[in-house]
Amino acid sequence: MAERSARLEAFGAIVQLRRPRALAFVDRAWARRRLGVGGAPALWRDPAADGDIGRAPLSAPLEAHLQLTNRCGAGCQGCYTGASPQGAPGEWGLARWKRAIDELAAMGVFHVALGGGESTLLPWLGELARHARARGLVPNLTTAGLEGLEALLPIAHLFGQINVSLDGLGPTYARVRGFDGFARVDAALVALRLIKREIGINVVVTRENFAELGAIFAHARRRRLHEVELLRFKPSGRGAAAYARLRCTDAQHRALLPVVLAAARRHRMRAKLDCSYTPMIAHHAPAPAMLAQLSVYGCTGGDFLVGAKATGAVTACSFAAPPPPAADGARPTVDELARYWRRDDAFGAFRTWQAAAAPCASCAYLRLCRGGCRVVSAHTLGDAAAPDPECPRVVDAGGGRRRSLPLASPAISG
Amino acid sequence: MARAGRVLAVKWGMNPNSSSLGVDVTFLLAGATVVAALTPLGGALLRLRRPTLAGPPPESPPRG
Repeated sequence: MAERSARLEAFGAIVQLRRPRALAFVDRAWARRRLGVGGAPALWRDPAADGDIGRAPLSAPLEAHLQLTNRCGAGCQGCYTGASPQGAPGEWGLARWKRAIDELAAMGVFHVALGGGESTLLPWLGELARHARARGLVPNLTTAGLEGLEALLPIAHLFGQINVSLDGLGPTYARVRGFDGFARVDAALVALRLIKREIGINVVVTRENFAELGAIFAHARRRRLHEVELLRFKPSGRGAAAYARLRCTDAQHRALLPVVLAAARRHRMRAKLDCSYTPMIAHHAPAPAMLAQLSVYGCTGGDFLVGAKATGAVTACSFAAPPPPAADGARPTVDELARYWRRDDAFGAFRTWQAAAAPCASCAYLRLCRGGCRVVSAHTLGDAAAPDPECPRVVDAGGGRRRSLPLASPAISG
Repeated sequence: MARAGRVLAVKWGMNPNSSSLGVDVTFLLAGATVVAALTPLGGALLRLRRPTLAGPPPESPPRG
């Protein structure tokens, strides 16, 4: 089956380009003219929604982040899933994940990002990736690059892109992760790049590796990688306990965008920032219209993206806890996502950003940033709906005060 | 005559990261003028590729 090329939305439609890879958001007139949409689709009942991205949640996520397993032998001190060699009780197998792929394809999801734990340890990873392709979804993959390389190399072609987690060079890797794994990860990068062009690195940015970002971009260039994606350290899993020690300082947050752009320019490398960094982009006051055109959004958990735990439990994003169970004790699972997605109370604070408190309520970037990272707010302030306390604008407004940090994240629904 | 319609935004690249949604910020190096030109470029590419709609249109979820 060919990849999905378009789907309707309340604002118009989303159209997928394959070369170059892109998702374009178009208004209703464009969809009528170019996609041949006729009549009055149910999604287009509200005339005010035409062309207004963000007025309502998407009809389905753009992508789903599937934590196929919580098995991983690395034991990283900041692991956001708290992965272990044993994995999680009740992890799904291939058949259930295939059903999840079927559900996501039926909803119109474009991409799935497969991760863990270490999903390359799963003997059926290739079969699941083939199943996603067969259902018109592009499977992408994240790996720590520490285990499972021999199994991954023969199936690497099945993935749209593979990113390897690399949080520092040489001894910095050990300081961030808690063990010396740099050489193994670097060897995995070299081996993957030999057989595939679309290989990138994910870098979780901490106060330990911030000063090394330029050197990391240089390393990515030397390895002829596709891109560097920078991720904010999240207080989730084992990361909750390490958060106070490893999270970036306010000064580093303010310096992030210029540092990254300078490194990208110098080393001619594509740079991506994850959704939780949108407040740090807004700090530099780029034109909101320009960010909108580039689809720079903050927290889009439970909207542009959805997560699923190794047990299939739906989450707004990979860092969020599953929603509370229903009266019968059941939690929504990703193979029945459509039913939960349309509920009035789905994803809790992740979908209530339009009711943000000050200073977000009057911020020119609210429609893009959506209040920053819900997971950081929940951990730091005990309120997932509160403005991101690490946003420089929130800090300047005096809203960045912290409560004493707990040892574990409070459960936040989503 | 029917309005031609607009490309509202373009999200470039794929997101292999399984934990969060990444956005390409490299374009910010080029400045607002180039970014403004990227969106019509995306529209032109789309017109060349003649995309088609697949599957029934889903119902919109409520805003919580």
